[in-house]
Amino acid sequence: MLLNQFLVLGAALFAFGVYGLLVRRNVVLILLSVELMLNAVNINLIAFESYLVSAQAVGQVFAIFVITVAAAEVGIGLAIVLMIFRNRKSANVDDLSLMRW
Amino acid sequence: MTFSDWIAEPVNWVFAAIGLAVLFSGFRVVTSKNVVHAALYLVGALAGTAGLFLLMSAEFVAWVLVLVYIGAVIVLFLFGIMITRAPTGLDESLSSDQTAMPALLSAAVFVVMTWASIDAFGTELLATVGEATSTQVIGESLLGRFVIPFEVVSFVLLAALIGGITIARRDLTPVEEEERMSV
Amino acid sequence: MSWEVDYLAIAPELIIIGSLFLVLGLDLTLPRLKKYWTATAAVAGSALALIPLAFLAVEGETISMFDGSYVVDEFALVLKGLFLVTAYIVFLMSVNYIESERYYQGEYYLLLLASVLGSLVLASARDLIVLFIGIELVTGPLYLLAGWRKGDVKSNEASLKYFILGVLSTAILLYGMSVLYGLTGEITFSGLAEATAAMPNSPALTMAVLFLIVGFGFKISAVPFHFWAPDTYEGAPTPITAYLSVNSKAAGFVAMLLVMYLALPGVSDVWAPALWALAALSMTIGNLSALRQTNIVRLLAYSSIAQAGFMLVPFAAAAVAGADLEEAFSATVIYLVIYAVMNLGAFGVVIAGARTTKSGEISDWAGLSNVDSRAAVLVAVFFFSLAGIPPLAGWFAKFVMFRSVMIAGGAATVVLAVVAAVNAVIALYYYAKVVKSVWLDDATREFPGEFDEPPAGSLRLALAISVGLTVVVGFFPALATFVADASRVIAAGG
Repeated sequence: MLLNQFLVLGAALFAFGVYGLLVRRNVVLILLSVELMLNAVNINLIAFESYLVSAQAVGQVFAIFVITVAAAEVGIGLAIVLMIFRNRKSANVDDLSLMRW
Repeated sequence: MTFSDWIAEPVNWVFAAIGLAVLFSGFRVVTSKNVVHAALYLVGALAGTAGLFLLMSAEFVAWVLVLVYIGAVIVLFLFGIMITRAPTGLDESLSSDQTAMPALLSAAVFVVMTWASIDAFGTELLATVGEATSTQVIGESLLGRFVIPFEVVSFVLLAALIGGITIARRDLTPVEEEERMSV
Repeated sequence: MSWEVDYLAIAPELIIIGSLFLVLGLDLTLPRLKKYWTATAAVAGSALALIPLAFLAVEGETISMFDGSYVVDEFALVLKGLFLVTAYIVFLMSVNYIESERYYQGEYYLLLLASVLGSLVLASARDLIVLFIGIELVTGPLYLLAGWRKGDVKSNEASLKYFILGVLSTAILLYGMSVLYGLTGEITFSGLAEATAAMPNSPALTMAVLFLIVGFGFKISAVPFHFWAPDTYEGAPTPITAYLSVNSKAAGFVAMLLVMYLALPGVSDVWAPALWALAALSMTIGNLSALRQTNIVRLLAYSSIAQAGFMLVPFAAAAVAGADLEEAFSATVIYLVIYAVMNLGAFGVVIAGARTTKSGEISDWAGLSNVDSRAAVLVAVFFFSLAGIPPLAGWFAKFVMFRSVMIAGGAATVVLAVVAAVNAVIALYYYAKVVKSVWLDDATREFPGEFDEPPAGSLRLALAISVGLTVVVGFFPALATFVADASRVIAAGG
């Protein structure tokens, strides 16, 4: 298997994530897009590890850290969404006046 | 390496099948008009990714991905969707109407990344095919060389847990607070 | 293989962890009316953690752990000192602010302590994984703290905006790190420096470096990645805004400079122009936007964007000119330290003044000197210091910056120096506008607040520390140059 077949797949997922981030208006869906981007990073890391083969499996360990942090961030993000929903009864970015940038 | 060499390897058929499924799911995550479907397509993309990890002999990480993401994070997402009562049917308002610029931009991102990685790695082959990285190596690595980030990341989780509960919980009304105080 | 841990070297981190758990325990067990003890624990923790730092500084040894991925050298000690002192001041500023409205005190201090722990880890990080986890621990709790005024829609949106851009920048940063790892097979800074120096410049390497700069650009809110900052700063509780504009910004800076300086000196032809552009844009756009602000917190938000530009100047200039980075590095660190102290003071005086004015609009601050002369004096001290007027600390920061640009030489640096000089003048205008409003303008209305009662002791102590440092460093710049000497150590292989 080529290294690049995985890297290109990762790049495609990252690009999908960028698209979703720009197009989506619902906060939960924006978070899903970011997860897609982080998943692309994980594919990269595992592919590079499989290509380089380090003694301490650095790439795989890095991927585990990325997964952990991503899980924590989803928790934080959904808590923020819930808080906003309590005040505004909406999870759409458009309904937030300041969110137009 | 020509395409016929590449396609002659059965493992690449597996890759092609999983890869296409991942791409399709990933695409649907950002285009689906139904919030629940988008979250479920992410399950597909992640399950496919776990399959790719298995191909790349990263067994432990593959199962971590399945357990943490599909087992926990997606459930969290579904809870989030249900609690915020996002419309679960078709909803045109989930995406903005201007899709041309974002599409162009993300295509540009893809082209640049692909060009850079093809330029850098050409037709390099993966070194480990078939021999799984032992979990022992990862465990020793996590609790040896990487013990500091390993310990520190637990505080990221602790802070997310405590802060998330505080932010998301409903505040007590003054009356409820009085009752709480008198106890 | 066995891994040695030097417990004295990580004692500051351990003390912060200890006080974090103490806060957690106190919050669980104390009755509601005694929750202020959690504040005491946090304040005491951040002060106690300075003691082992002093021991380590006296010893002066460079301690390297885990394959050189966690290093305690003089540079790390200076930054840890900075992070702890500024955290101490922010804790003091928080005490009354958090008590005066219905906040969750225990959780507030716990999250802030977690963020401080992250910045301590970051100062010692010498590999990509530790760096990444450090950044996440600094910012993660802050996403939540920015929304701590739960009932306030502005605060909610501050939190959301900060969070979305924060995770986006993390994703971009991580993609860059993954490519860097793939190209070199290294994650420690020393390994990366060797590998990248030996390798010809390729599109992939350029892309990785640019991804890192974009990611860090968001974290330090440099133009054009700054648009989250003003709204977030305005919506967040004021002590958190102070923390965001000082500690978390300093953490982003430290992370970026460490990576560029220690890990990627071999590819400075890629990142130097990018940093040059970031510096010039941040100064100019930040200052021009600050001119139009009528809200004092938004003004400070844009001013801190512009100050970030000034901070980048020495480093960017030296890198573009190919000059010695060591001098520039210490100039940037000196600027960072001085900026941290005076900016914290400015936010402290905003909190103190808002007790009288009950408003963030600059026009509502007119005539403050008639009713609260002490606050008015402090406004003058901190805003003139930010503007760089001698003999306050800010002038020395600006002086060091321009000196290092002159040392670097070259056409591109002269252009940058001119941009910086013009911007320093623009900045003087809007800082002076605030001081003029407070001192010279007549009050347009009755002040609604209670100004007979002095602000709480903790806030006064916070202001006293910052004003003391601002004035003392201004008169005796030699005190600040020890920072420079310390940051030079890093060049020797720290």
